[in-house]
Amino acid sequence: MDIQSCVTIINEWDIVAARQLGRNVAKELGFGTVDQARITTAISELARNIYLYAGKGQICIDKLYDGGKAGLRINAVDSGPGIREIRQVMEDGFSTSGGLGAGLPGVKRLMDEFDIESSPGQGTQIRASKWLR
Amino acid sequence: MNQTISNYIQSHKQQIQDEWINRTKEEADERVVRLVSDRVFVSTSKEFIDLLISNFKGTNEEYTNRLTDFAEKVVRLGWPLTFVTKGLHTFNLIVFEGMQEEGIVTKENQMDIVYEFDRWATPMNNEIVSVYSSTWERTVSLQKIALQELSAPLIPVFEGITVMPLVGTIDTERAKQIMENLLKGAVKHRSEVVLIDITGVPVVDTMVAHHIIQAADAVRLIGAKCMLVGIRPEIAQTIVNLGIDLNQFTTKNNLKKGIEAALELTNKKIVSTGGAK
Amino acid sequence: MRIPILKLNDCLLVSIQWELDDQTALQFQEDLLHKIHETSANGVVIDLTSIDFIDSFIAKVLGDVINMSKLMGAIVVITGIQPAVAITLIELGIGLDDVLTALDLEKGLEKLQQELGE
Ligand SMILES: Nc1ncnc2c1ncn2[C@@H]1O[C@H](COP(=O)(O)OP(=O)(O)OP(=O)(O)O)[C@@H](O)[C@H]1O
Ligand SMILES: [Mg+2]
Repeated sequence: MDIQSCVTIINEWDIVAARQLGRNVAKELGFGTVDQARITTAISELARNIYLYAGKGQICIDKLYDGGKAGLRINAVDSGPGIREIRQVMEDGFSTSGGLGAGLPGVKRLMDEFDIESSPGQGTQIRASKWLR
Repeated sequence: MNQTISNYIQSHKQQIQDEWINRTKEEADERVVRLVSDRVFVSTSKEFIDLLISNFKGTNEEYTNRLTDFAEKVVRLGWPLTFVTKGLHTFNLIVFEGMQEEGIVTKENQMDIVYEFDRWATPMNNEIVSVYSSTWERTVSLQKIALQELSAPLIPVFEGITVMPLVGTIDTERAKQIMENLLKGAVKHRSEVVLIDITGVPVVDTMVAHHIIQAADAVRLIGAKCMLVGIRPEIAQTIVNLGIDLNQFTTKNNLKKGIEAALELTNKKIVSTGGAK
Repeated sequence: MRIPILKLNDCLLVSIQWELDDQTALQFQEDLLHKIHETSANGVVIDLTSIDFIDSFIAKVLGDVINMSKLMGAIVVITGIQPAVAITLIELGIGLDDVLTALDLEKGLEKLQQELGE
């Protein structure tokens, strides 16, 4: 894995850097404009959650190759407070911060695969992938 | 042993061919014969026999190439796979019976010859099936692409008014494609009103309704208005029975009414130009 | 970088030309409300033609600024939302339900006149 394909999230500007990285990789892989927007938006949501709730973390973008298919995976990792009620945060409209609460369930809808692992006090890891059609 | 069979086939080529065409035509599914003209049937049959014979001589590579070509051809002609595999069987039968008549097959070597045939026919059979199915897969995937391209045409009918007729079953993949085409087209044609005509959609379940609602919502965001037309009675029933709420957007029962409403929305009117009376 | 806000008769015109970061978005919210106050504008057109994605944060800032403007007596029309942006917003679950939209700046101004005229 390429060092360049990770962005450390500490401040708001890093959110911009993360989504630019994602958009570039998506473009490079040949995703269309709509999928590029989906991927960029998903990264923005995950990066902002890290910034808001964990304070610090990392967004990595991997290229995927599986048989004849190519894809992109967003890997968002932090060692923040973790999420206690995963089921609850995956419901539309749940927010602890006065946001729209569309973030996590939205990311799941925008991407093809979504996977979340989190333990309170340990941190959160979210992986979301999109395949080229 | 192989040589014996090969020699027989070589020297009786014409006879085998005629016999094969006769028998096959008798047995063949009417479907197959009806699909192609007599001439095409005979010439394709000849090609098939040639192909089988070339398996006895020529290089392996040559043979595989020809087999692929042939498979593609018959797939295009619409010949079923069973017809081709049965054809192979018939070929063997003709050759075997012919050799029996001429006394080449005797009681003593009968079993050996049967085995020999089997050793020759099995890989050939497998190969035909595999080439055939991969040709099919390719055809199907090409058709899928073709279908995708034609699946959601956007038709600008008047300035600012566009119609998208939906035809056929809608799955998630197609729904996404349709939404994309719809929005890109609406922006390109600068449509103020977009009519989605679902007359040709056989089933509207919650999934399909959900996608249609999403599309209408997205159309609103780009600054146009979405109208749903062509709701058949049974579809109105399922929509209400499933508890799907389509109240937030305009529906009309047919395209004509929809276009009239769209004209009104865009301050347009169709007038007949005198001379009518 | 601040987003320029132009005045045209009793309306304000905003064309967002580059990717919005959080700070710029919040700054814009502030600036627009002040400008409405200053000019007593009745309407605002915000053109998003150049924006190629909107996440839930920016959507919230936009939605908020629309509601705040309304409170101050100015109607907001959003124009030029790109297909890709519309699709992602809908999939995110953000409908921007009561927001007025139009295809482009020109149509947006038309719509504003309509709304204000009635
Ligand atoms: N990385 C994280 N670490 C700890 N908690 C998190 C993390 N990501 C999300 N959460 C929790 O999950 C909740 C839901 O997140 P989600 O992104 O869905 O909505 P939101 O951020 O509150 O609002 P929006 O994203 O719509 O602005 C958050 O309010 C927060 O409590
Ligand atoms: Mg969030």
